[in-house]
Amino acid sequence: MENKHHNHIDSLYMRESLLDKKVMAIGEGSSTFKMLPYVHIVKIGASSFIDKGREATYPVVDKMREILKKEKLVISTGGGARSKHLFSVALDLGMPTGVLAQLAGEDALGNAHILGTLLSPEGVIAIPPESIGHLLPLFLQAAPGVIYAGMPPYSIWEHPSKKGNIPSHRTDSGAIILAETFGFKTVTLVKDVDGLYDKDPKEFKDAKFIDKINVNELEKMNLKTLPFNRVVIDILRNNKSCTHFQVVNGNNPDLIEDSINGKHVGSIIHNDLYEG
Amino acid sequence: MIELLTKKLLNTNLEDPDLLLGTERYKSNKILPEANVIKIGGQSFMDRGRKAVFPLIEEIKENLPKHQMIIGTGAGTRARHAYSVGIDMGMPTGVLGLLGTFVSIQNAKMIHYLLADHGIPYIEPGGFSQLPLYLKERNAAIFFGMPPYTYWQRNPEIGKIPPYRTDTGCYLISETYGTKNMIYIKDEKGLYTNDPKKDKNAKFIPKITAGELMERDLDDVVVERSVIEMMTSAKNGRQIQIINGMEKGNLTKALNGEHVGTIITSN
Repeated sequence: MENKHHNHIDSLYMRESLLDKKVMAIGEGSSTFKMLPYVHIVKIGASSFIDKGREATYPVVDKMREILKKEKLVISTGGGARSKHLFSVALDLGMPTGVLAQLAGEDALGNAHILGTLLSPEGVIAIPPESIGHLLPLFLQAAPGVIYAGMPPYSIWEHPSKKGNIPSHRTDSGAIILAETFGFKTVTLVKDVDGLYDKDPKEFKDAKFIDKINVNELEKMNLKTLPFNRVVIDILRNNKSCTHFQVVNGNNPDLIEDSINGKHVGSIIHNDLYEG
Repeated sequence: MIELLTKKLLNTNLEDPDLLLGTERYKSNKILPEANVIKIGGQSFMDRGRKAVFPLIEEIKENLPKHQMIIGTGAGTRARHAYSVGIDMGMPTGVLGLLGTFVSIQNAKMIHYLLADHGIPYIEPGGFSQLPLYLKERNAAIFFGMPPYTYWQRNPEIGKIPPYRTDTGCYLISETYGTKNMIYIKDEKGLYTNDPKKDKNAKFIPKITAGELMERDLDDVVVERSVIEMMTSAKNGRQIQIINGMEKGNLTKALNGEHVGTIITSN
C-alpha cells in the first residue's frame, strides 16, 4: 500500500492523519506539567491606567511594588490609545489585520517600558518579546517579576477577524494563553471598571454586574461590549490548566492583591473545569 | 473620514460588533498580489525523500522565471514523534507547538539547500520584511510553515496537538499578503469524503466552500480544520487549492490558475 513508501519513526501517530478526529483526541485527559505554578500574571489595562498618566498609574505601580515583595509576577500591558490611533491610520492606509497586529506590538512594548522604568528599583524590567517565552523561568528565578508587551506574537500570522479588520488576539488573550502554557496560579485583568456587566457601565446606569460566569453562558448572552477581548471566550473554553481569570477594578489597587490571593473581588470568568 | 474613525476607536469598546463591522469598509491592500504561497507537505512529501522531492524541485525551478513563489514547509513524521513523546511527558500545547516548529525548520532548510544554486533564500519570521525584495530579485523565498506562536499556541478543542500548524501558517501568509494563490502540495489529489489511504470507497471532492465543508463535519480532512474555519472570515485568502504534487505538471497548472485538485473557497 501507499504507506510502504513512507519513511516512518514508530510512535503513537505514525500512519495516522493528524486531522483525523480520533487521532486528535489522543492525549485528552492526560496530565500537563505545570512549569510555573507559583507565578501570577497581572495584565494592567493601558487605556484604563497608563493613558491616564501618573494619577491613575502610580497607585497601581505602588501596589505592584508591595506585591512583588511576596509574590512572583508576570506583568503585561497593552497599547491603549496609541494602538487605537494606529488602527485608525493603518486601516485608512489599507493595511490588513496581520499588519495591524504586528504594529500594535510596538505600542504595547512602549507601555511595557514605561512600567519597566517605574519598577526598575525592584529589578523588574520589560523583557523583549522574543525572549519572554524561553527565558521566563530563568528571569523569575533572578527577579521578583518581569514585564512584557502583552500582544501575543501572532504578528502577520494573526487570524482573520470574524467581524471587521481589528486583530482579535490582543493583550488579554495573550495573558490567558501564556497562563495556560506555563500553568500560572492566577490571572488578573486590571481595568477601570469593577468587572463584567451586561451592558457598558460607562454608558448605562442600569447595567447589571456579573460577579461570576461560565464562558459558555457568557457566549450565549452575546454581550455587545466586554471588558476583555472576545476571543478569550474561545480560548478559555479549551483551557485545562488556566480554568478562570478575574477582572478587577485597579482604581482600588488593593483588589489586585486580593485577586492574587484567590479572593473573589471582581468578575470571575471560568470554564467547565473550574472548581470554586 | 480618518478623524471620525480615530474618534470612534478611541471612544468605543473595541469588542463592539457595530464598530468592528464598520471597519470592513476599509478594504486591505493586497501587498503581494502577484505572489503564490506554496506549501510542501511534511509527511506527505518531504518524508518520502528524493523520489518525491527532486521532481518537485525541478518543477519549481522550471516555474521560477514565470511565477513568484513563497514556499512554506510542513513538519511530518518527526513532529508526530515529538508530539507523541511530548504528550507522554506532559508537555503543554504551547511546547508541543515549538517541537513541531523545529521540524518544519529542518524541512525548510533542506528545501533551501536544494534551491540554493538558484539563489533562493530561507527566511525566518523576523525576515519577512525582506520578502518583497527576494521575490523581485529571485522570484522565491522559503520559510518554515509553522506560525511562530511559540508559547502562545492555543489549545485545541480536543486533545493536545497544536491546532495551528503549518497549513495554517502558510494560509495566513497568503491572507495577510493578499497573494494570488495558496497551493497545498500533498500526496493526494485533494479532499475526499474519508482518508483515501484507508477507505477505498472515499469519494473525491473537486470543489467545495469552507462553509459546506464545516457543515459536513468529515472525520478526516486533507487540510487543517483551522484553515477552513479561518477561510469563513477571510478578507484576501478566499481560495485555496490542494494538489497532488506526485504527479508532474500539477504545480505548473495550479500556478497557471488551472483546477487540478480540490479547490476550497470562502463562499
